[in-house]
Amino acid sequence: MHFASIDWLIVVVYLIASVAVGLLGKKYIGSVSHYLVAGRELGTYAGIATLAATEIGTITFMYNAELGYRYGFAAFAAALISGLVMIVVGRTGLVIGRFRALRLMTVPEYFERKYSRGLRLLAGILVAVGGILNMGVFLKIEGEFLTIVSGIDSHYLVAVMTAILLLELVYTVVGGMMAVVITDFIQYVLLSVATILVSIYAVFHAGWDDIVAKVSSTMGSAGFDPIENPKFGVTFLVWQVLLWFAIHTCWQTTAMRVFSTRTPEISKRVMTWTGFIYLGRGMLPMLWGAAALTLFGLGAVDNGVPLPVVNGQTLAPIDAMPAMLASILGPGVKGIVVAGMLAATMSVNSSYLLGWSAVISQDVILPIREQMGKPALSSRSQILVNRLANLFVGLFLMFWGLYYTPPGAVYLYLNITGTIYLAGTFICVIGGLYWKRANTSGGYLAMLMGAAGAIIPFFFLHWSENVTGFCAFGLAALGLVLGSLMGKRAPTSLAAARP
Amino acid sequence: MNHWLAFWTVWLVIAAVSFAVITAIVMVKGYRDLRSMFSRLAEQRTHDRG
Repeated sequence: MHFASIDWLIVVVYLIASVAVGLLGKKYIGSVSHYLVAGRELGTYAGIATLAATEIGTITFMYNAELGYRYGFAAFAAALISGLVMIVVGRTGLVIGRFRALRLMTVPEYFERKYSRGLRLLAGILVAVGGILNMGVFLKIEGEFLTIVSGIDSHYLVAVMTAILLLELVYTVVGGMMAVVITDFIQYVLLSVATILVSIYAVFHAGWDDIVAKVSSTMGSAGFDPIENPKFGVTFLVWQVLLWFAIHTCWQTTAMRVFSTRTPEISKRVMTWTGFIYLGRGMLPMLWGAAALTLFGLGAVDNGVPLPVVNGQTLAPIDAMPAMLASILGPGVKGIVVAGMLAATMSVNSSYLLGWSAVISQDVILPIREQMGKPALSSRSQILVNRLANLFVGLFLMFWGLYYTPPGAVYLYLNITGTIYLAGTFICVIGGLYWKRANTSGGYLAMLMGAAGAIIPFFFLHWSENVTGFCAFGLAALGLVLGSLMGKRAPTSLAAARP
Repeated sequence: MNHWLAFWTVWLVIAAVSFAVITAIVMVKGYRDLRSMFSRLAEQRTHDRG
């Protein structure tokens, strides 16, 4: 066991405080807009905290550290792109300004405004399925982090995952976005402190010069040059640019923060500032991974890098970083860092549970009810449907997380499963907002060809992630253009925004 | 390789400094944001009930 009593105390106090504070959000739930988008009252700084906390989880630290371990400084390119693209989106208001002005609550809701209810339903199904599969690997990897750093026996992994999920479900189901915003703020502060502490410890223990030397001796110039690195290259960089534009505009959990701000101007400011945080969100854990390579990269070479060996045991590259933390952090500091990582985990998972359940309830269940001619649900009933969808997603995650292990680097797996619906969704949104000829036929083709363009090359033809991602966006764009030109002309004005 | 190392070192410093500075700012101003947000929501709730 690596945890001292002080570490347990810090973690337990944090967990109790987090859930208790989150439950306070319940009393502010009046309508479904309070439950899903905090009544559209979010200010700039609370918005930055909740957006950053939502998109920085233990999974983020784990997969970025894995990238740093496997690819050295060349991996920084992915982090740089993610941050710069977010800053560009924030400064220009690309998509997000228009989205906020439309007073949406989900991304697929836009599809009904511009295209048709049927396309909203298709988008909702793809978004929910892709999003939940994407999230499905989080729990297991987060559980691995906790068991390695704390020293809890790995046989208790299921119990640890269950406990984490139950705590998140308690305040998310009850308090919705109101609870999530409060807990995100606390979690953002704690995970940021943990990030800074770990960065200092990692560089201090591994040594900057030694990190550079190890990356150089292990990977040569490919450890620094993302174009020369065989896993990356120009296609990777182009795909990453497209993907991050899609994520920062159309990823449901990010978009929900945009929808929750008081004004479109605030949503742009939130996005811009958070873009700077994204630089550190990627580069700092990648640095930890490179530090772990320096300290523990002593084993047999696998895919060009030596496997980590810790206390005589050979680990997978993704486990090197938590093993390093278990080794270099002292009592008290370890507790703060693990509490910070738990904070990161809970903030992501609660926001994602809310995001995907919102799509299930608002974009699948409610449109199907309307189509069947059933009367509209009251706000209270809609909140109940959201809560039930939340529980369903939580249960699915438990079972999927136990049985599925992603192949290769987790970061690339997550990118591909996201691309399955992001390619079509992004193209449909861009076309819908900025091209008058975009119509429903084009929308359907874009969604279907984008999904096929990600699934078939990657899962059946075994193409690389880079080429697959590139293809998916290209095919989605082709589908939108061809379908729109061949189909009926779209009406010239968009439906009025709902009050 | 040296120019790439210099490039990444600069960006790493920018990333680390902005991460720390924004965290400090958000800690203070974010708390105020939340208080005013819940104050507005409480007023709305009172108004709706009235």
